[in-house]
Amino acid sequence: MSEIGQYIFNGLMLGMIYAMVAVGFTLFFGVLDVIKFSHGDMLMVGAFAGLAASMGLTAAGLDAPWAQLLCVVLFAVGLTGLLGAGIARFLILPLHKAPPLNTLLATLMLGTVIREAVRLFYPDGSNPKPFPALLPTASVDLGGFALRVDNLMLLVAGLLAIGSVHFLITRTKLGMAIRAVAQDGETARLMGINFEAVVLLTFALGSGLAALAGIMNGLYYNEVNFSIGLLLGVIGFAAAILGGLGNLYGAILGGFLFASLQVLGSALLPALIPDVPSAYKDVFAFAAVIIFMAWKPTGLIAEKSSERV
Amino acid sequence: MTHKHAFPLSLLVAAFVGLTVYVWLFLHAESQIAVAALVAVAAVAVAAGRRWGFTRRFEEAALASPTLSRSLSLLSALALIAAFHDSHFVLLMLCAVLLYATACLGLTVQFGYSGVANFAGAAFFGIGSYATAVMAAHTQIPHLLVILLSGLIAAVIGSVLITPVLRTRGHYAALVTIAFGILFKTFLEVNDVLGGPQGLQVPGMQLFGHALNDGAPFGTADTSFYVSYALLSLGVFALVYALVSALERSWIGLSMDVVRTDETAAATFGLHIARWKVIAFTTGNFFAGIAGALYGLVSGFVAPNNFTFADSLLMLSIVILGGLGNIVGLLPAAMIVLVLPEKLQFIQEYRFLLFAALVIVILLFRPQGLLPRTTRIFFRGESSR
Amino acid sequence: MFSRNTARAGAAMLAGAALTLLSVPAHAKDVVKIAFIAPLTGGVSNMGLGGRNSADLAVRLRNEDPKSKYTYQLVTQDDECKPNVGVQVATKVAADRSIVAGVTHYCSAVAMATTTVYNRFGMPAIVWGAVLPDVTYANNFKEVHRVNGTMINQNEVAAKFMTGLGYKKWAIIHDTTDYGKGHNKYFSDFLVKNGGTILGTFGVTADQQDFTTELTKIRELKPDVIYFGGLTPLGVRIRTQMEKLGIKAQLQGTSGIKSDAYITGAGKELAEGSLSFIEGAPWEKLPGGLFFTGKYNQQRYSEPAEAYGPFAFAAANLIMDAVEKVGPDRKKVLDVLNKTKDADTIIGKVTFDDHRQNIVPLISKYVVEDGAWVLWEDSSYGKGKRKLAGL
Repeated sequence: MSEIGQYIFNGLMLGMIYAMVAVGFTLFFGVLDVIKFSHGDMLMVGAFAGLAASMGLTAAGLDAPWAQLLCVVLFAVGLTGLLGAGIARFLILPLHKAPPLNTLLATLMLGTVIREAVRLFYPDGSNPKPFPALLPTASVDLGGFALRVDNLMLLVAGLLAIGSVHFLITRTKLGMAIRAVAQDGETARLMGINFEAVVLLTFALGSGLAALAGIMNGLYYNEVNFSIGLLLGVIGFAAAILGGLGNLYGAILGGFLFASLQVLGSALLPALIPDVPSAYKDVFAFAAVIIFMAWKPTGLIAEKSSERV
Repeated sequence: MTHKHAFPLSLLVAAFVGLTVYVWLFLHAESQIAVAALVAVAAVAVAAGRRWGFTRRFEEAALASPTLSRSLSLLSALALIAAFHDSHFVLLMLCAVLLYATACLGLTVQFGYSGVANFAGAAFFGIGSYATAVMAAHTQIPHLLVILLSGLIAAVIGSVLITPVLRTRGHYAALVTIAFGILFKTFLEVNDVLGGPQGLQVPGMQLFGHALNDGAPFGTADTSFYVSYALLSLGVFALVYALVSALERSWIGLSMDVVRTDETAAATFGLHIARWKVIAFTTGNFFAGIAGALYGLVSGFVAPNNFTFADSLLMLSIVILGGLGNIVGLLPAAMIVLVLPEKLQFIQEYRFLLFAALVIVILLFRPQGLLPRTTRIFFRGESSR
Repeated sequence: MFSRNTARAGAAMLAGAALTLLSVPAHAKDVVKIAFIAPLTGGVSNMGLGGRNSADLAVRLRNEDPKSKYTYQLVTQDDECKPNVGVQVATKVAADRSIVAGVTHYCSAVAMATTTVYNRFGMPAIVWGAVLPDVTYANNFKEVHRVNGTMINQNEVAAKFMTGLGYKKWAIIHDTTDYGKGHNKYFSDFLVKNGGTILGTFGVTADQQDFTTELTKIRELKPDVIYFGGLTPLGVRIRTQMEKLGIKAQLQGTSGIKSDAYITGAGKELAEGSLSFIEGAPWEKLPGGLFFTGKYNQQRYSEPAEAYGPFAFAAANLIMDAVEKVGPDRKKVLDVLNKTKDADTIIGKVTFDDHRQNIVPLISKYVVEDGAWVLWEDSSYGKGKRKLAGL
């Protein structure tokens, strides 16, 4: 029983992180019709920014975990948000008129640049680094399965983050502007919406969300290393597509769907084939995504688009 | 009105000789200063050439007399191999350049001609290598046939992969290939049968009863055994190059270009979009598989870490750097991407960073790359008037 | 006009310069290149850098020795602990005819993959850190030698020791490279022979992030000890995730986790009580230990020598001794190295058996105590003042 409980919990945590990355992808696609592939590496930058902030604060003598946590989150989200906006301004917007595959390629390369830059220029970047444990480590025993308070807090924080993004998009004026630009950029411009400002804000928002996911990842595993961005980026992208690009609910759904595929793989495969290493769960999950794409190429909640001939 | 050659033939020959000498100097240079100086010379020459239209006229002249320029290129490659016949490492680098350029020829057919994005180029390259490793080690099939079979296996797997996304837009195909690339590497790593993370040793190539690893069947005692491999790689590259350029000039290439440029228009003209995309994807993967097969035999070792997503991106950078759709630019681009980091040791560590940044700059400011793709001219010179 | 003082100063300088020029020997010594290959970046870079510094120290000391016939130059290459990169740099180094021999590899996975390369090009190589027995025993390549011990002894001693302490049930986690698989094989054999029970064996990839699946199943199995056959980065992750899942078993590692990076990575509290086994004596007890550490500290390297530094030092010296004897010729150096018997080095007497493997008889047991690796016999655990988990 506790085994299943552990699996479910792990799946929820992973799903939360994937969903946060997928929401970013979907936001960017909705607003500018671009796939910003460096999004996963934004997560990594956020995690490293948080690490640097934490080390700086500790060196400056500010040791209280709650204060550190707050400063770390603010710093990471702020820095990554700025970085995201900068990327939008200097890379994405200029390539707006080019074929979409060019943008995809450019952002893929950008992801590589970010990853390599951190590996080379952050002191001792190629080594995995311990992430400070800033959350309380108490745990509640639920019938053989230990529910840790910090994991629970992470889960709640993730839900809150996604909830607030949803609130922002659906209930505020900025959200309406974002949705307007996503629907039809030209008309939005005609209606007096500052196209560029909205785009930059959207990218900042998505990147900030990724930074939050990065810090959550760091707190969950107590470790960051420079290569986590690549796999998480691909998974986030796959999750966004699974749920249907451009659709917020789809992205969240896709994130949890992918996580459950992974958990299913790791739980079921050993039952079918004994002694199979758990890394097969990634193979299983990606294969399932490819097969799913064969069945429903545009995702669960299909993207509605019309193309002018 | 007679059309004077903008470029006399003798000058063309001289230009080729000059290029050969430059490449020889480049490969021979040991000290960092010498290499940096050579790179600076090249940059200046390219900039000057572009400014005064030199490069364009040279390319047109070369295209105007294809047999001459191809035989000249072949001769210069043979001369280089002969010049470095005793240097193991230079020959190994030449093999890598030629084979990666062959795989990129495949990628050009997919991306440059038909617009099908393939982010798993290294995975198909790897399928060729692993298939060869398994077949060469465990079966008695003659190695030339093994190479062909490996290419076929890569092509078949590719054709299975492309079917899900034929009906949809570009980025969905991109996801499928990215997912496949990662799946392939993870699968190889966890799978013990195919050697796992430790990789597989590939036996040396046997050609008509002669084991290539035992040494070249000609030349001095110092001649490296890599000479035979270099000659073989050159042969494969030349063959695939001839095939691809013939393909480009033919109605097949034309159809692929239409499919890429405007799918709706292509459909109204009766071109079956899905079929052309599948043909392009499969053919491209066939070439990548063959290149991978030979690469496995040359290096004698295959491991999952050779075929990661970063390597696929490296191949794409070669394609874009050389000029998307222009196969002449592939060799210089491959030289830059593969040989330059080896020569300029201090950039060795930064090479992924540098080349990714370079591609971004190219995409932003000069999407056509080093050598922009030239318009297809079907009738040259007098006969068109 | 020059003053007289300036003229005198100028003359003195000229005279000094002339004397310096005259004191240069009539002919400069030939430069002999020796390669050094190790993981200089990545999760185990601290071991590679320690080895590099040690080899560099050996070369420096030899160059300062006026009696040496040649000037030695160390050519370092980074194998990133990845087999394919290792094969690439090994090919590069072995294909370069000006490099006489190599001090090679900490990672067993890489050492295993490169043996054929050294054999193909005929370059003598002495392994200084890889412990997989197959590196020297699987093939009969005359080019491959090894100064450090193999994991066979390590695991034999470990099995006996742990069962002697009273532990009965094990769960084994190992990485899927040849290194981890080798550890699994030998430890399982010896453990069963000593009466231990293995409840489950789990293979993980060398860069795996998430161990929830394996550790959840292990939690169900309730072992006394978790044996981990793998390197430091994974060891850190497994230890932290064990804590997160509430697994209270004792962690037993191999020489792969005996590094300071393990303690900084897992944190002092979590690393406390972890065990590891390593061949060779601690440097204080080595014959040349004090000499080595003294000279090493003099050079002020930015990284410590770590556990295998002395082996790299010894390997470099063996090569340079051979070159002094027969000159920078690969074949001749190979013959000399093959015949090494009772050679005096800082790690003791080195003799290569018929597979060019040095036999290192002593295995040291280490435990983490208060943020540092301490020899078992010297630690509070060994003296009975503290207890390991589960005892």
